Order: sequence, then structure tokens, then C-alpha cells
Amino acid sequence: MTDFIIFSVTTIAIWSVLGISLHLQFGLTGLVNFGQVLPFAVGAYGAGFAAVHGLPIWAGALIGCGLAPLIGVLVILPAGRLTQDYWALVTLGAGEIFRLAMLNISGIAGGVEGASVVRLGDRTLAMVLALVLLTGTALFAFRMDRSPLGRLLRVLREDETLAATLGRNPLRFQLVVTAVSWVMAGLAGVLYAHVTGYVSPSSFMVIETFVIWTAVVLGGPNTIAGVVLGTAVVQLTGVSTRFIAQWSHLPSELVANLRLAAFGAVLVLVFLFRPQGVIPEPKRRYNADSR
Amino acid sequence: MLIAADISVAFGGFQALRSVSVQAAPGSIVGLVGPNGSGKSTLLDVIAGLRQPDGGKVQLDGATVPLGRPDVVAGFGIGRAFQVPRLARRLTVFQNVMVGARGQSGEKLSDLFLRPGRVARREREVEAAARDILRRLDLSHKANDYASDLSGGQQKLLSMGILLMAHPRVLLLDEPAAGVNPVLIERQIRFLRELRDEGRIIVLVEHNMEMVANVCDHIFVLDAGEVIAAGTPMQIRADARVMRSYLGQPA
Repeated sequence: MTDFIIFSVTTIAIWSVLGISLHLQFGLTGLVNFGQVLPFAVGAYGAGFAAVHGLPIWAGALIGCGLAPLIGVLVILPAGRLTQDYWALVTLGAGEIFRLAMLNISGIAGGVEGASVVRLGDRTLAMVLALVLLTGTALFAFRMDRSPLGRLLRVLREDETLAATLGRNPLRFQLVVTAVSWVMAGLAGVLYAHVTGYVSPSSFMVIETFVIWTAVVLGGPNTIAGVVLGTAVVQLTGVSTRFIAQWSHLPSELVANLRLAAFGAVLVLVFLFRPQGVIPEPKRRYNADSR
Repeated sequence: MLIAADISVAFGGFQALRSVSVQAAPGSIVGLVGPNGSGKSTLLDVIAGLRQPDGGKVQLDGATVPLGRPDVVAGFGIGRAFQVPRLARRLTVFQNVMVGARGQSGEKLSDLFLRPGRVARREREVEAAARDILRRLDLSHKANDYASDLSGGQQKLLSMGILLMAHPRVLLLDEPAAGVNPVLIERQIRFLRELRDEGRIIVLVEHNMEMVANVCDHIFVLDAGEVIAAGTPMQIRADARVMRSYLGQPA
């Protein structure tokens, strides 16, 4: 039971970091990133590359979370002038291109077979590291959220042209947000690799992006608390489908697919009936009368 | 002095502006009038850097204003308000006004984490300035409402307030009186005169002829992308061609 709790908390913490990263991009800035799995994969593959090439763990971590924002900037630069729907397509494609590249280039981290990396044997330590990463990410994001920068990012979300006529270069701020949030997701990827002990292309399918999206949209894309809550619900559902499969004697593949169908339904229903999610963006009040 | 010279814009085969030149002196309100589709808003977009013209140049006080770069143009002290106000609708009125301020240290990630004191100080200044502007616009009681909850007229006032936070030299206003109730129009007119008397340059696109005749010092009449008349409100009223272009028949 303790093992299960430790496993669940670790999983929720890692995926919450991915959710907070998406909160900064989508909830705050309005960037529709349908390739959120990409920086996560880049982080994990940094660890994989280091393991395969005999580099120390810290070098892998550095490669993973250094490369993630660089790739993010490369993706956003041509896409920066595009409208939101094209952004979604470009990022979706970029994520798949990376996965297919890792699948086919065996020299980087084992190709289709994947690669083993050092696995954190102490599961409690893994959980603590995940919680430390989550706390750090949340504090960083919170500072951004409640700052003049957060205010401006929300203006970008609402109307890029307004921000431009007020003297701000929208692309510059989108680049900053992408770099920061992709570092976060990259770190989550590095940790994930060392928690599971291997990296393989099958861990970074498009569907993972939508698991993150479901969590963020369900909990509320505009608040950190909402993102963590949504991630907890979605990941616990994911974990418990295995038990459901055991109890119901249904094939576990069917249950897993039903789970994804349920996520899809949740995504559509929340978008239709409660687009602000379970925890909506709070109104920031100012005293307009004091002299 | 704001000068837009020989501005030409074509949308595909349609010539929206043909070598249009207008100028506006500090401390004056210049009106752009003309029928729908005559190119007034397009001209404002060009000056504001929102549309790259096919030819022409823009100058402010002798310095060349870059074309097609709205964020850089704003740095010259040129502010553009839109016919349908552009606002951050899911932010409050107060937050919208605050965003108008330039040079916010807290928008830099490095300052946010390394110079929190400076960020907090600047934020207090911005708050105080926003309070003043809202009081001036008589919108203080709406400060914590979402921008989307304001009436159309209040939204137009708010977008002007956002611009004023940056202390602009030039205000490009697109139909500030359209859809605004008469009481609010009165207040706008008073306000425009105040801004003019502070030495600013105001360029006004407006269909409300009463407002135009009332506040403008100089008027340019556009028709089919060309300036067909220019002068004081009195001169324009006496110009037969203007009446034709507005009414579509011999005056």
C-alpha cells in the first residue's frame, strides 16, 4: 500500500510539473501547445543519451533540460507569427518528429529498443525529488503568475495586437514563456527517466500530450492549484484502471482504451460547459479609491 | 509634428490609399472624415505600424517612424485606439489600465527574481498612475469589473485610459463616439480638448459630424483612398465636393 502511495505521489508530482508548464503556455499566455510531450521527451532522452554514451547523470540532466528550451525556441520561431490553430499543428508535428527520430536513430538512445538509465532504487527518494521539483516549479510559476509579467502574458492571451500597440513585442514574450516552461518539462523528463529506469519512444506518444491537456483543462488551465488537482484526478484514474481491469476481468487493453475515451469525453464536456475548469482564475482586486 | 506622406496601400487589386499625405501639429486635433471604405482606418493602421504600406513614410518631430512594427511605433509615443476597442476582456478594468504603462520592471524575468524591490516599487507607481487615470475618466467605480462587463462607451473610455498610461505624444482615435451615449460623448469632447491643450497630437476618425466640427482644428476628407479636401471645419462645410462624397449626390 505504501509503495502504491509513493508511486502515485511521484507520478502525480512529475505530471503536475508538465501541467504547470502547460499552464504557463496555455492558461497564461494562450499558446496552444499540442506537443507538450516533446520537452518531456527531450529531457528523458538527455538522460538516455548520457547513459548510452557513458556520461554522468548530471551531464544527461544538463543536456535534457538545456536542449528542451532550445528546441522550443526553434519550434516557436517559425510558428510565432501563426495563429493559435496553426500553433497547435506545428507543435503536434514537432513532438511526433522527435519521437520518430528517436525511434529510427539508434545511435542516440537505443532507437526502437530504448535505453536503460540509472534507476533510482530508493523510491522514497524518487518521490521526494519529484515533490522538490514540483514545489520549485510551482513557486517559480506562481511568481510569474502574480507579477506584471503575468498580467502582460494574459493580455497576450486575450489580444496580441493590443499588446503590440502598447509597445510589447509579442514574439519576445512568447519565446520567454516557451523557454521557461520547456525547461520545466525537460526537468520532469530527466526525473521521469531516472524514476522508470529506461527511455523508449513508446513512452512519448501524442496521447501523453492529451493526458496532460485533460488534466489541465479539467482542473483549470489558469491556476496552478487547478492544474495539480486535475493531474491528481487524471493520474489516479490512470493508475486505478489497472485495478478495474483486474476486478472486472476485462482485457486490460480495452480498459486502457476506455480510459482514453473517457479522457476525451471529459475534455469535450469541460470545454463546452466549464471552460475555466474546476478552479477558475481568481479576480485580482485593486483599491481604486485610496489617495 | 506628425507627418504621414505619400502613403499607398493596396489590398490585392483594391487601392485602399493612393499617395495620401496628412499632417498634424502638436496641440491640435485633426479629423479624418469620409464615407465607409475611404481608407481612414487603414491610414491609422499604417501610422500605428499595424499595416505595412506599399509606399510612403511617417515622421514624428523629424524622426522617421518605422513602418510595420507596432511595438516599436508605440515606443515613439504613438498610441492607437480601435473602433471596436481592443481590451483584455478577462482582466479587470484596473489591470487593463496598468498594462498601458511602459517600462515595467516586473515584466522582465530577471528583475522578477533578482530585483523584487525594484519590481514592487515600480508596481506601486503604476498602481497610483492607474488610479489617477481612472478617476480622470470617471471609471473608478468600475475598477474591479471585468473589461468585458463594461458598456460600449465605457470600453472606449477605458481603451483611451490604457493609452494615456504611456503618456503618448500622439493619439490615433478610431470613432471614439460611435455607439456612445450623448452624455458620454460630452465627456469625451471635454477630455479630448484637455488632451489637446496638454500639447498632444490627436488624430480622430469620426462619423459624428457634430463632434468633428466641434473639436477638430483641421480636417482631411478622404474618398476612395484619396484626400479630396482639407481645411478648417468651416472651410470643409463650404466645400461642395465633400457634401457630394458624403451624400452621394450633387449638393
